[in-house]
Amino acid sequence: MTATANLLAFLGLTATLLLVWRQSWPARLRLFAVQSALLAVLATAIGVLAGKWALLGVGAVFLVVKAWVIPRVLWRIGAGAPVRPIAPGHSSGIALLVAGVLVVAAYVIMLPVNRATELPTEGGIPLAFAMALIGLYLCVTGRDAFGHILGFLVFENGIFALAILATYGLPSIVEAGVFLDVLVVVLIMEGVVAQVRREHASTEEARLRELRG
Amino acid sequence: MAAAGALAAAAIGLVALVLGLGGVAGSAWTVVVDWLVPLGGLELTLDPLAGLFLVLVGGVALPASFYAAGSAERSARGALAYPVFVASMCVVPLAANTMTFVIAWELMSLASYFLVLHEPEERASVRAAWVYAVMTHAGLACLLAGMLLMGAWTGSLRFADWRAAAPGLGAGARGVVFVLLAAGFAGKAGVIPLHVWLPLAHPAAPSHVSALMSGVMIKLGVYGLLRAGLDWLGAGPAWWGVAVLLAGTVSSVIGVLYALVDNDLKKLLAFSSIENVGIILIGVGAGMLYHGAGLEGLALLALAAALYHTLNHATFKALLFLGAGAVVHATGTRNMEAMGGLIKRMPWTAACFLVGSAAIAALPPLNGFVSEWLTFVALLQNTRIAQPMLNLVFALGVAGLALTSGLAMACFVKAFGITFLALPRGDAAARAHEAPPAMRAAMVALAVVCVALGLGATLVVPALVTVAGALTGDRAPVAVGDWLTLGVSGGFATLSTLAIAVALGAALALPLIALRLAGAARGQRRYETWGCGRMLQTPRMECTATAFADPFRRVFGFFYRPEKRLDITFHPGARYFVQRIEYANPTRSIFDDWLYRPALDALRSVAHRARAIQSGSANVYLAYIFAALLLLLALA
Repeated sequence: MTATANLLAFLGLTATLLLVWRQSWPARLRLFAVQSALLAVLATAIGVLAGKWALLGVGAVFLVVKAWVIPRVLWRIGAGAPVRPIAPGHSSGIALLVAGVLVVAAYVIMLPVNRATELPTEGGIPLAFAMALIGLYLCVTGRDAFGHILGFLVFENGIFALAILATYGLPSIVEAGVFLDVLVVVLIMEGVVAQVRREHASTEEARLRELRG
Repeated sequence: MAAAGALAAAAIGLVALVLGLGGVAGSAWTVVVDWLVPLGGLELTLDPLAGLFLVLVGGVALPASFYAAGSAERSARGALAYPVFVASMCVVPLAANTMTFVIAWELMSLASYFLVLHEPEERASVRAAWVYAVMTHAGLACLLAGMLLMGAWTGSLRFADWRAAAPGLGAGARGVVFVLLAAGFAGKAGVIPLHVWLPLAHPAAPSHVSALMSGVMIKLGVYGLLRAGLDWLGAGPAWWGVAVLLAGTVSSVIGVLYALVDNDLKKLLAFSSIENVGIILIGVGAGMLYHGAGLEGLALLALAAALYHTLNHATFKALLFLGAGAVVHATGTRNMEAMGGLIKRMPWTAACFLVGSAAIAALPPLNGFVSEWLTFVALLQNTRIAQPMLNLVFALGVAGLALTSGLAMACFVKAFGITFLALPRGDAAARAHEAPPAMRAAMVALAVVCVALGLGATLVVPALVTVAGALTGDRAPVAVGDWLTLGVSGGFATLSTLAIAVALGAALALPLIALRLAGAARGQRRYETWGCGRMLQTPRMECTATAFADPFRRVFGFFYRPEKRLDITFHPGARYFVQRIEYANPTRSIFDDWLYRPALDALRSVAHRARAIQSGSANVYLAYIFAALLLLLALA
């Protein structure tokens, strides 16, 4: 169980780091779907290994919502935008470096938690937390609305993984509420992005500044 | 729709009245509904004090709702907010834990906010509602802080547990909670300098709502003060009582000073409410001081006086607001300078308004006289506390109360005289019409209650002493005279309103009878008012509201700081001929100029500086969140 959880969490983190590295939005979207699918497998695996059958359902719903429905909506949001941002001077080097720092920070912050718990999955907890932090970092540094939304979703995935690893999943009602929230947020953002695009013909961060009151 | 809302409110009022009378008579019950409200559930408890305030809510809501149902205004606005307002005011005195209390309190504030925002197209109405919302929520913040602190320190949010745990708390802790709660409740009660919303909100609301806000809602602030100062926190140190007494004195004097110079009829009544809350608080403060000094008989007397004045002010101020509403409805203006002569066009309204004015000016044998007399009697016995500083405070209270009484008399001579007497000053006043029957019935009912509360003082006072006794926990019987005469503190003073009424009636009737017996001519002669020999009498020769108040404006010039604005238009041909003179003499509020304006300016400049962090970049905003999260995690 420990090995499975650690492996899946590690793969999830790798997908997250690749997300930081890649520049073209279709590739990032695919990576997000892959990361979500990995986490769905993680939930199912822990459900089977720990005998928590409710987690199987959670994994299935997660797979449908995060790896299929939301990527489709994101695809609609991204459609029409240039595949790579044409902005010279932006490279992924610094971003990857920061992501590395965040992984270290996640380990440092989670030290007391790891010391306090005796779970077989505790090795994956800092990895999941690093996913969340990197997601937030992506959200902060996003160059357009798509980047912000993707960052937020990665952050949310990290939180989900954290919940699965640390407590073997939240009560089903909470999970259901969170899924619904995320779905609604994405749908609302689709509307907002469409509106912004109609007004400004772009969703670039520099143009979003003009919305200031 | 509006009528349905008013009738629902009347039904609620009737239930409240019946329950409240039961509570005053001694019935007590508790209702707990655990699932309805988080953190402790809904908990309602009826005790004598809650019963008295329920009587207040019901007793005013009933006539005010009939007045509303009978008024010609048929707008659906406020049809829902009004019954919610009445219902929430019923729950406030019954609430027995923090959550129930705070929810009812906030519901009351919100509902009344929507009612104040009666005419959303008018700037003045929007501003009034805005100021009201800000002040009431500042008060709520204080209340919440105080209640949650008390909850944290006693480990319970139930008021009954506070009662038990309060004596074990440190003096500092109790002091902090008292100051927070008192500030919150004083804001609702309109105590100066937290009164700024009151003269704006009362005129903006429809008159039956003004009657309820002024008659009942601000009294719930007094209710909270009574609970906080005497019940929830137990008996406090002397400075609590001193603070309440002085705040009451300042409010009463300043309130009546503002009322005296205002020409807006409803605003005048609103300022007068501040004055009357001041009088009530003088009684409450004296009661707290006596209670702290162990003089239970005097404490009960002072508290009964305060409760009596609470009851009285609710009736006569509701009556006056309903009367003012009828006048405003008939003339289309609140400006007294455009009124006059209404007694001939609206005799019922005038008669009711006169009863209310006489009562609020504390003329015997009406109810206002009895409660102010009781307050004086309670204050004058302060020499039984042998502490010179406290005696000085009491002396200030007596002086303030005396000044207030005199000025209130002048104020209501002006309110009644300028509005109803002499000749109409404008077309609208000349064409005014009497209010519809339901509105008249509501006013007559309240006028009858005013008279009854005055004449029935010997029945009311013992009941109020019992209520006060239940509040302070002192249930020893206090002698207050027999059915004919009030006699307090073992014969320190006696009063019989019935005897006064009979004497006044006799003084009125005897000369007439004597004239009849002497065979005087019985014919009536009608002749116009003596006009100093002038041929022509026009409304322009009448004393105006401004002119009536002018002597006071001069005497208290240091307080009013009036500005003189003289605008003369000369004749274009020759400067020796004046075409038009415009003279305005507005007063300035020292509270606006010296307290609220600087505070708001400071707030604005801080807000302006804080705009620096609002860059407009979503990245930066998200970075703030990220940084905060990392910081919190690192600190955790």
